[in-house]
Amino acid sequence: MLRIESLTTSLGDFSVRDISLEVRDNEYFVILGPTGAGKSVLIETIAGIHFPSSGRIVLDGRDVTRTAPWSRPVGMVYQDYMLFPHLDVGENIAFGLRQRRVPAARRREQVIEICGLLEIDHLLGRSPGSLSGGEQQRVALARALVLEPKVLLLDEPLSALDGPTRERMRAELSRVRRLTGTAVLHITHHFEDVFALADRIAIMRDGRIVQVGETGDVFLHPADRFVAEFLGIGNIIRGRSERFGSVVRITTTSGVTFSAASGTLGEVVATFHAEDVILSGAPFASSARNCLEGEVLGVVPCGSTIQVRLDVGFPLTALLTRESCHDLALSPGVRIFATFKASAVHLIPVGS
Amino acid sequence: MRRLFLSLTACLVVFVGASLLGLILSAPPAALVSSLASPEIRFAILLSLGTGLLSTFICIALAVPIAYSLARYDFPGKRVATLALTLPLTLPPLVAGIALLLFFGTTPWGRILEEAGFAVVFTPLGIVVAQVFVNLPYLIRILRSSFVAINPRFEHVAKTLGCTEAGTFLQVTLPMARPGLVAGTIITWSKAMGEFGAVLMLAGATPMRTETLPLALFLNISTGDLNMAIAAATILILISLITLIAVDGIDRDIVVF
Repeated sequence: MLRIESLTTSLGDFSVRDISLEVRDNEYFVILGPTGAGKSVLIETIAGIHFPSSGRIVLDGRDVTRTAPWSRPVGMVYQDYMLFPHLDVGENIAFGLRQRRVPAARRREQVIEICGLLEIDHLLGRSPGSLSGGEQQRVALARALVLEPKVLLLDEPLSALDGPTRERMRAELSRVRRLTGTAVLHITHHFEDVFALADRIAIMRDGRIVQVGETGDVFLHPADRFVAEFLGIGNIIRGRSERFGSVVRITTTSGVTFSAASGTLGEVVATFHAEDVILSGAPFASSARNCLEGEVLGVVPCGSTIQVRLDVGFPLTALLTRESCHDLALSPGVRIFATFKASAVHLIPVGS
Repeated sequence: MRRLFLSLTACLVVFVGASLLGLILSAPPAALVSSLASPEIRFAILLSLGTGLLSTFICIALAVPIAYSLARYDFPGKRVATLALTLPLTLPPLVAGIALLLFFGTTPWGRILEEAGFAVVFTPLGIVVAQVFVNLPYLIRILRSSFVAINPRFEHVAKTLGCTEAGTFLQVTLPMARPGLVAGTIITWSKAMGEFGAVLMLAGATPMRTETLPLALFLNISTGDLNMAIAAATILILISLITLIAVDGIDRDIVVF
């Protein structure tokens, strides 16, 4: 659907260099990278805002490298929405249709249809300034999607939202994508955004793509230290997921089992943060579903915290304060219990 | 603190009100009316309104593209250009006026213009030129900060929604810059109405030819005709008042007073 070939663009301090990647039909592609990696320059180049100094952009079989932005079938949604403040919600959504000189009656129908899809019918006459972040996000999405773009470019769409709104919006993005069938290119510096959304991911650093692949593969086999540290999850475990009551149970290759609050079944990569692991001298009753016994392999000071490496049948990392580490008298060889909540575990399906 | 600040404000309001009202009331009403009806004042009103409208219009037409390019585009010599366009702001209008007089009066360009039928020196056209020269930098500055304040991403999004460059400017950038545009227009118009120094230098002060309201005030006070001077001043006060009230009435979004 979208193919980028050795694209290079320079723009002041930001640049992208020699980037090649492909977003397939119907695919949800996430580009992950730290702030300043050149992600915004990349999607603005794809949108036609900047012209590349070399390379090609092929969209839906057509070379659009030198095509004006207004003639490219792409939609773009920025992190800060960019709703036109002098127009109301309905006028914002109809903006692109008006440019295409769609007759007023047809325009109204299309606006109402897309608003139904995004559940924002009730906002039509409001001014953008009076909307919450999540509402503005939906309006910005509607404004882009009403034109039925071949590719939807999303610039950090979840970063400006608070926790619960973020979670809802993530589900929303996945639903919208399923309903419209638009290919999505989503850039973000939050690796949480890839869960439940990304089919494939690319990791970007200093204007270059350092790794591209199926989400699970990239998590399992980070190409280099940068990728591993950037994904920075602490715990990445390969296993098989099966339904177990309301949750799933993961059996690792070494035969250890633990639970995850997820619906993903089959071969998976399970990930959770080192901060989410609690260590204790004895097993204790808690609401957390997972409590595994293991042995301390190493204790590594890491800034104000201490990283404790364990073997619980698979390698596991926990992050503790110095005080807790001292209280538990942790040192290599000590037997210990590691507890973590099923809801802290994220599952990524692994392509067969 | 609140009391002190409020009383200071009240003092100033009373002072401004009293001085303006005192000016209008200082002439006997009958004399004021006859002065207002005199051909000289009627001419000055029409000339002021005409040149003011024309110069404001020219200022807007020039300042919008210039301010936008200073706000958005990178080009060699941008800093020098900004300095050159800012300098007249800090110059006394008299200096601008004499510079214009020498430019149009003594250079080949001035002669070419004059032969082409656009005589600037000591003509009503000179009034317009002087007003534009003095007021344009203000308008450029106001509009430039309006354009700078608009995130370029609004324009980017508009383009991905099918808007051409020109369409984006007309449908997104200009409407978003409206408060600055309105405020700048009011200031330009008011300053054009009151422009004295530069107009005096370039257009002279020929009665019934280049006599705008401020010049009528000046000419009549120098010849001792106080009532005529007060009449000119009264008209200037009225024009200011009407301008502010009209803009406030037309545009609810913009707070004029």
